[in-house]
Order: sequence, then C-alpha cells, then structure tokens
Amino acid sequence: MSKLYTFLKYFFITFWTVFVVAPFLWAVSTSFKDFQSVNSKVTYIPWLDFEPTLEGWRVLIKSPAKGGVDIVEPYFNSIFVTCTASLISIVLGTLAAYALSRFTFKAGFVRNNDITFFFISQRIMPPIVLSIPFFIFLSTIGLLDSLLGLVVVYIVLLMPIAVWIMVDFFNRVPKELDETALIDGCNPYQAFYKVVLPNSIPGLIVAGMFCIIFGWIDFFFAFILTFTEVQLLPVKVVALNSSITPWWSLSASALVSVAPLIIVAFIVERYLSKGNLSGALK
Amino acid sequence: MEEQMAKIDLSNISHTYNPLDPKPTYALNPFSMTWENGKRYAILGPSGCGKTTMLNIVSGLVRPSKGEILFDETPVTDLKTEDRNIAQVFQFPVIYNTMTVYDNLAFPLRCREFTKDKIEERVKAVSDTLNLSSFLNSPARKLTADQKQLISLGRGLVREDVAAVLMDEPLTVIDPDLKFRLRRNLKEINEQYKTTLVYVTHDQNEAMTFAENIIVMDQGEIVQVGLPKDLFEKPKTTFVGYFIGSPAMNIFHSTVSSDHEVKINDTTIKTNSNLGNLKDKNVKLGIRSEFIELAEKEKNNTVKIKLTRVEDFGNFKLLTGKMGNLVIKSKVEREKPIPDGELNLYFPPEKCCVYSDEKLV
Repeated sequence: MSKLYTFLKYFFITFWTVFVVAPFLWAVSTSFKDFQSVNSKVTYIPWLDFEPTLEGWRVLIKSPAKGGVDIVEPYFNSIFVTCTASLISIVLGTLAAYALSRFTFKAGFVRNNDITFFFISQRIMPPIVLSIPFFIFLSTIGLLDSLLGLVVVYIVLLMPIAVWIMVDFFNRVPKELDETALIDGCNPYQAFYKVVLPNSIPGLIVAGMFCIIFGWIDFFFAFILTFTEVQLLPVKVVALNSSITPWWSLSASALVSVAPLIIVAFIVERYLSKGNLSGALK
Repeated sequence: MEEQMAKIDLSNISHTYNPLDPKPTYALNPFSMTWENGKRYAILGPSGCGKTTMLNIVSGLVRPSKGEILFDETPVTDLKTEDRNIAQVFQFPVIYNTMTVYDNLAFPLRCREFTKDKIEERVKAVSDTLNLSSFLNSPARKLTADQKQLISLGRGLVREDVAAVLMDEPLTVIDPDLKFRLRRNLKEINEQYKTTLVYVTHDQNEAMTFAENIIVMDQGEIVQVGLPKDLFEKPKTTFVGYFIGSPAMNIFHSTVSSDHEVKINDTTIKTNSNLGNLKDKNVKLGIRSEFIELAEKEKNNTVKIKLTRVEDFGNFKLLTGKMGNLVIKSKVEREKPIPDGELNLYFPPEKCCVYSDEKLV
C-alpha cells in the first residue's frame, strides 16, 4: 500500500514537473534556432540536432532601423510601471488594511467588512468593462499613452489585492501587540511602524509578490491605453508576431519576460520556506 | 527620574460594550475602589466576570462608559494609554518578534527616551531577576513560550517609575515550578521597588499566595475586597464561599429558628450571627470543611452523618458524608481514626456564616 503510494506520489510529481518545465526547455531550445531548424523538422538538442544561433536574441536589442524590434525600452517601461504601481498600492493598501482591521467604521449600513468587500469587488468585473471608463478618464486628464496614466490605472487594479491580503494578515496579528506597544509608550503611529509593520513583513512580501505578478503580466490595459509613445513589454512581445512567425525571437522574449518573475519567486520562496509567514505571535 | 508611583482611584466606574443599545449589558457594574501605592492586589473571579475590562480601563485601552480614574488625585480618564505610565502584561506572551530579547526589554525605555546607560542598567537588572541574561542577544521569536512570557513580564518591570504593573493571568503558560519562583520574584520586586502590582487570575491559590488584598468579582460586580483570611473565614456572599477554598464551603438550606439558631433538616445549629429579624425565614448556613470537627458523641451543634467516602490527600483526610439528602464535607487530620458508618460532626458557632439572599448576615 505505502509502496504504491510512494510510487504514485513520485510518478505524479515527475509528471507535473515535466509538464511545467518542458515548455520552458522547449522555449530555451527554440530561442537558439534559426528559420531552418524550426521549420524543416522537429529538432531538440543544440549542436546535435541543429546549429545554435544567437539571432533570435540579437533581434530583441537591435533598433528597428537595423531590422530589430528593440524590447529594451518597453522592458524598462514595464519595470517602472509595475514597481511604481506596486509600491504605491502596497503603501496605501497597507494603511487602509490596518485601519480596516483595527478600527470600527460605521456609515449607514456600511461596516468594515463591506468596505473590504468594496475594495475586492473592483476585481469582480471583467477588465473589458473597465476599459471604456478608464480610456475616457485618462483622455480627459490627458494621460493616455503615458507611463503616469498606466501607473494610475495599475494602482486601481493592484490596490484591492494589497488591501485584501493585508486585512487578512492584520486580522491574524493579535491586537494585544498594538496595545502592548501603546502601553510601552508608543503613540498609535509609532506602534504601527515600529511594531506592527516589522511584524508584517511576511504579509507585505506576499502582497508585493501578487502586485508585481499581476502588474507585470497585464496585457489588456497596456494594450488599450497606449499607442505609440509608450509601450509595455507584453504588448511589444505580442507585436513581434508577423506574417512569418519568428518563433526564435518570440521564445527569447518570452524567456526574458518571465525572468523577473522567476527571480521574485525565488526570493519569496526562500522567505516562505523559513516559516516566517505564520502569525508567529504565540 | 523622580518617583511617579501613584495611588489609583477608580470612582463610580462602569462599562458597557454596547452603549448604543437601548438596554445595554454592563460588563462592569458601577463600583469605586482605591489601589494604594506599592501594594499587591489580586483580582479573582471566573472567566468573563469583567476582570480584564477593569485592567483595560486602568491602562486606558478601554474608556469607561461612566466614572472617573484618578492617579494621585489627578484625573486620567481621558489620558491616552501611552501617556499613562502603566505597564500591562497579557495572558499570552506578546513579544516584538523582529527584535532581540535585549531590544524587547529596552523598548519601553527607548520609547520614553531614557539614556543609554540607564537603559543598559535596567535591562541588566530585569534580565537577572527573570533569568534572561544568557538570551539577551538572541532573537526573541526563537525562545520558548514561557521565556517569551518572561520577556513580556520584563517589559512591564523594566520601568521603575510605572504607576502600576497590571498582569492579566500572566503565568498561565509557565510551568508550575517556575510559576512558584516567579510569584516569589514578583513579591520581592514589589517589596524592593514598592511597585503597585495588580494581578488578575482565576486561580485562588495564586491570588492567596500573591496578594495582600484580594478583589473577588462575579458577573461584572465586585463581591468582596479583603485579606485572604477574611475571604476564607467570612465570605461575604455564598459565591465567594463557593469560589474560594478547596473544597468549596459547605452551604445548607436552613430556616431561622431563634435569634442565634438555624435549623438544618431537624438539627438545630447555634451561630454567632444575630438573626432576630429573620425569624422563620429561609436562609443558608455556610461552614468551611476545615472548621468542622469530629465529635466523640452527640452534643450541642453536632450533626449526625452517614459516612460515604474518605479521601486521603496525604496531609489531611477529606470526609464526605450525608445527612438526609445533604452532602457535608469535612477536612480532618490524617492521623485521626475515622469510625465507620455514622459519626458526629461539630460546627463551631463562631465559624458558622448565615446567608440571607446569598449575602452574609
């Protein structure tokens, strides 16, 4: 029985690993191929099956004038928009979440839970419903096709995530912690940033991770709200496609697009595995 | 730093957690009390009787619905917690996870901007008292639960100038051996520094051994304030009689038969209470099992019981007997020979307490 269990366990783990990792390996291998190696027959292993070339990668940094696509600028645009929007969302979201967790709000029939739900409900609608209002909004204030406009829209999209995660996190931090800080002589602000906040780093890391992921992978709003001045990475990657699909540079750009997320995942995973995410108060 | 310890007055305090309700339920019914500077108090009562609410009102975490708090005659009711100079220790260890043990202990002093030398001196003194010296540089979150609670306690004791240290069942998570030692330490600290200590507990032994004054609470009401001896010998209500002492006080339904006598079933018991105006009324007679004596033969103030059980506790024997349908418990010395079957128990009149409407006559 237990042998069968062990066998099945390892079988499924292996299966799942292959399932997840294979496309990556496929993309890695494809990014080094040329037209011939992709279109003639199925090839797998560099030097044995095909002669590797860096052409697929070179195209990404060459300027369009020289026949390249130059994803460097969109890349940094994406980093800027994602990081700025995530940071602002985390700061505002954490403050909002702390208030929602510790104070009681009453406005008519509205209570704390309703406010929290109101934040999350921003994500219930399909994004396309929001596209027209956002478009009109940005064009009214003159921020269409600009980095700042994207940052504003992304804050709207990311802050609910931050609020949602942090409310839950703060609810699990006993209020005695704040009270102890008050008794020890902090004012409420000091209690928050000297005591509660350092204790909440695990929550902040998780919230930050989700904000970065959702900000980084967004294609829809980046596509709708920008034209020529500003481009973000996902839009640029899709734009690579043409009448002859350049599988090699598509693979290369896909790999560089996921690279930052893989780095984030490694950092967060280290943190998760230290067991620091548990409430750790008692 | 000048001495700031204070006399704490609670004047006509009451508290409800649902003030907007048309019929608010009171967690604390109106009461007034004074905590003298430098004394040890224990607040004793079952869970949910308002003990913690009372502490939170004193420390300022809860603002009382009515009434006023004074520290040394100065009203502090509207003063914020951080300005009150009170230390409070909660039931479960609350530590600053991200700091070392040293930083945890130093935190209250740093918040109040003490000098570095002073901080070092105080942290050292407190960590010596609490046996934390060898951990000072380790991260606080790595310690065991009882060590963490020592840190909480330490943070309460590190400021010499606090008006009072309030402790909300602080030793629940600490093992018995260490508990005993810590209680003694707390007593020493109190005697040495004259810090007012207020200790909430539901464990009567803890309260009795720790405090000079015990405040017994039940359902938001202060039932009795007094020395351990008073609570034991003259409980003001049947609740105190039940709650204090092990086993609980023997309490019997009885009828007043004359100025000083009550009748239990058909046995007349003489008491020292004046029952003149309660004639023929139903009352309760209470007597501690410790005060009931074995009698050789029937005489005045003895009851005849049928022995149902003898338990040997090592240092004494606990007899359980029945008189009709009433159960009587009596503690006797373990050397005393116990006759089989029926025996006579003597109720010393001066130890009999009579309760009318659950209150001592």
